[in-house]
Amino acid sequence: MATELASRPVTVADLGAAIELCYTNGWTDGLPVVPATAERIKAMLEAGGVEPGRQVAFIENRQVSITAEKVAINAVMAGCKAEYMPVVLAAVEALADPLYGYHGPATSTGGSAVFMVVNGPIARALDINSGNNLFGPGWRANATIGRAVRLVMRNVIGTLPGELDQSSLGHAGKYTYCIAENEVDSPWPAFHTTRGFRADQNAVTLFAAYAPHQYSNRLSATPEGVLDTACAHMRISAGAGRQPQYAMVFAGEHQAIFRKAGWSREQVQRYAFEHSQATVAELKRANVLPGPVEPADEKKPFPVVETPQDLLVLAAGGQAGVQSCFIPGWGGKAGSQSVTKPIRVP
Amino acid sequence: MSLQIYDPTTGASGRNVKFAARPKSLAGLRIGLVDNTKHNSDQLLLRIAALLESRHGAKAHLIRKKKSAGAAPHAEIIEEYKANCDVIVAGVGD
Repeated sequence: MATELASRPVTVADLGAAIELCYTNGWTDGLPVVPATAERIKAMLEAGGVEPGRQVAFIENRQVSITAEKVAINAVMAGCKAEYMPVVLAAVEALADPLYGYHGPATSTGGSAVFMVVNGPIARALDINSGNNLFGPGWRANATIGRAVRLVMRNVIGTLPGELDQSSLGHAGKYTYCIAENEVDSPWPAFHTTRGFRADQNAVTLFAAYAPHQYSNRLSATPEGVLDTACAHMRISAGAGRQPQYAMVFAGEHQAIFRKAGWSREQVQRYAFEHSQATVAELKRANVLPGPVEPADEKKPFPVVETPQDLLVLAAGGQAGVQSCFIPGWGGKAGSQSVTKPIRVP
Repeated sequence: MSLQIYDPTTGASGRNVKFAARPKSLAGLRIGLVDNTKHNSDQLLLRIAALLESRHGAKAHLIRKKKSAGAAPHAEIIEEYKANCDVIVAGVGD
């Protein structure tokens, strides 16, 4: 495999100087990065099975070609192990999918992050956390795979805060927002099988999304009870009125309730779709929809999402505890939708 | 011991986009307005069109809505603009 690197090399005095240079040049997300040496970059390319010059993605709105070499450099800087590279490559490929619509969620004042869900055997092989402290720190794969994608967005696509990225608030998921689904304990088939993949295939789903919105239900042991709590929180939430997709992430105790009751993913979607609907009148009064409240608005439903299938139902999170969460998507479906790409392990 | 690291950045590498020639006057021209889907953007654009017509002699306007603020106008409305408009007013705002 040809591994001649085309990127500009910079010589620095030592490790500390390398880290500082990355700060000085604006190449980091605010945290220190691992210096991208030729040896580390080549190991990353080798693990991804890609030539450095191969175009991984082309971002139409920015007219930017993302090469495997640039992905590898940013993955090294993020702290990825070389074996994470196939996941990072698949995620970067997904960024350029027209359905994902890079430009909207990346630039919007809305301030979404790139939520990534890894499915398939690779998630367990790479130890991508699907359990305790799901969205918190502690797992190298979760911390660095999402960070690598973000660094590509920053350094290759130029998505710098205050410049191309005009987020008003942003959220911590913009450092990294990568999880695996808990396929072992899940009451449902693995999520990627709903996107046409086999359970034994590896895939990553990207979803332009706001922060997780946690809710607690310790008073009910029925699917309806858990979902009634979720729906009460979702009814007028971050995406209300625009009908983006929403992810619903159920942690261990809530997973067990659905398993015991034999509820399918589709039943969860249908129930949540029906019970999270606000009326047009409610949304107008909350200034989520425009215009004066008309008498007919009082009984006119306005679903949070367009269809039940726009609720991305996932099993992940700690086995103990009565918490679960939902994650509103950015904008509306016309602007961005979740996309799932195969992870190719050479 | 010195260390060599590699630049993680890249620049735009795509095609050059040529701007359309600007007309010297709007007199008698037809204005196309691109509604970016944001609330009240249509109101703002229609007021702009009214000014272009009353002060600069533009003779007509056509307003169409994109599917999403973050996306380019879809093919159908681009065809309508091409068939019916001489100049376009577009922008991104909130």
